[in-house]
Amino acid sequence: MLNNNNLINITKMKFKNIKYTFLSLCAVAALVSCDNDDDNMPIVMTPTCNDGIMNGDETGVDCGGTCTPCEDAMQPTMPDFTGTYAQVDFMGRPGINTVLSADGDIKNSHNMSIPSEMQATFQAAFEARLEAYHDVYATILGADPAAVNFEPNILGDILNGPTDDGYTNNPVTATVLTTVLSNDVLEVAPNLPTTYFNGGSGAPNYDGAVGLTGRTPQDDVIDVSLILLFGGGDGARFSGQDTDNDGMADLPRLTSDGVGLTATVGTTFPYLGSPE
Amino acid sequence: MKKSKLFMGLGALALVGVLLVAADHIDAPGSMGTSADIADFYAFEPSLGSDNTVFAVDLQSNVLPDLAYGTFDENVLLEINIDKDGDLVEDLVIQAIPRDGKMYFFGPVAPNETGLNGTVMVDSPLGSVDISAETAIVETTSNGVSLFAGPRQDAFYFDFFQFNAVIGGEAPLGFKPAGDPSTTDDDDTTAVDTFDGANTMSIVIEIPNSLLGETTAVNVLQLPVYKTWVTTNVKQ
Repeated sequence: MLNNNNLINITKMKFKNIKYTFLSLCAVAALVSCDNDDDNMPIVMTPTCNDGIMNGDETGVDCGGTCTPCEDAMQPTMPDFTGTYAQVDFMGRPGINTVLSADGDIKNSHNMSIPSEMQATFQAAFEARLEAYHDVYATILGADPAAVNFEPNILGDILNGPTDDGYTNNPVTATVLTTVLSNDVLEVAPNLPTTYFNGGSGAPNYDGAVGLTGRTPQDDVIDVSLILLFGGGDGARFSGQDTDNDGMADLPRLTSDGVGLTATVGTTFPYLGSPE
Repeated sequence: MKKSKLFMGLGALALVGVLLVAADHIDAPGSMGTSADIADFYAFEPSLGSDNTVFAVDLQSNVLPDLAYGTFDENVLLEINIDKDGDLVEDLVIQAIPRDGKMYFFGPVAPNETGLNGTVMVDSPLGSVDISAETAIVETTSNGVSLFAGPRQDAFYFDFFQFNAVIGGEAPLGFKPAGDPSTTDDDDTTAVDTFDGANTMSIVIEIPNSLLGETTAVNVLQLPVYKTWVTTNVKQ
């Protein structure tokens, strides 16, 4: 709190400062003998924005009013964000680069790319990778790798409607699928419920199938990806089937990795659980 | 024996020795394990009927030892890119970059330049939030945008060790079946979430759709969508 003595002292200090300012102005101008004799003071001084005193319509010394605005001492200064920033990593849909890029060079190249150029750059390599995965299991199953290929998946059935048999007229070929996936962006629909993909009641009618409206932390993006890559027309082409009923799997299990959400995900911002 | 049938030809397979982690965690040699490594990206409507969109980006991970984890890098600019007309070129960016314990956000705004290089859009500040420790610190701006930055559980789930065995031709049976969640998987016969217990450095923003504006882009179901992706960018 200020008391009267403080106020007097501050007033004196201000007056003293103003007096010194005035004295130095006098010296520079050398117009008059500079003493405290009021009789010798210059009568008229036009306020300017560089005269070192607060005058005219200024709100501070040589600022405010018709001069440049005064800087607010309470305004926090923005940190320095200057410079150019160059892309080093990229992500759109989950797992695209990890799963469909065949080696470290392609993965690095993908991370240094922009979506508008990705289809031209990566589609063919992604399609080759998709077929290479099928060759792995063809070999395991003792089949000719050339004979075991990607089969059009349930997306085609859902898009075409339930009358399609999932194979003959299904438009989602390996080329179509890798074309869509090579345009590596995550689509999120404003004002619609978010589901990465859910096949609803499944083959053949897919009642209630929804998807492609974003990605929540709960969405099982790995199982969806596996179904679209290895599930074929009914979504279960390679799902550990025991085809001769002897109690042993005859086909590999490739349409689910067998795990679900283990982390805590909340219903309020920031949604992701506290660190473990 | 069926099992021997499954193993047939296994010896002929070329084994892929590369360590892979998804969804984007440690996805490539160039960014793997750096402070700029993007681990994951989510974009969703936070609740039924909400007029907001949430973008959550995970950077870094402690899922494996010796990875960069725990501190946001002041030389790394995170950019959320939003295409609203379907040409796969960003029409808006939301940026986040840390300084001295705070995460500063900019946008949504049309960037000065699209593509691989960019600058911080300092003339379009959105707000800032103190970087959290264990307890979440949340800032809500006057225009209804919620901001968060700090360590969080890694919500991604995937039996990635088995995935590596699968694509390496070392798993003739493919993935493992789901285990009984009430028991410990100590006999190695059921699937395990590799990311259970892992943490990541998250940046989360919830923004009213009105601030992003209308979109003319559509998905294959012809539903209007924002086409989004995230990048990390290092100061040159």
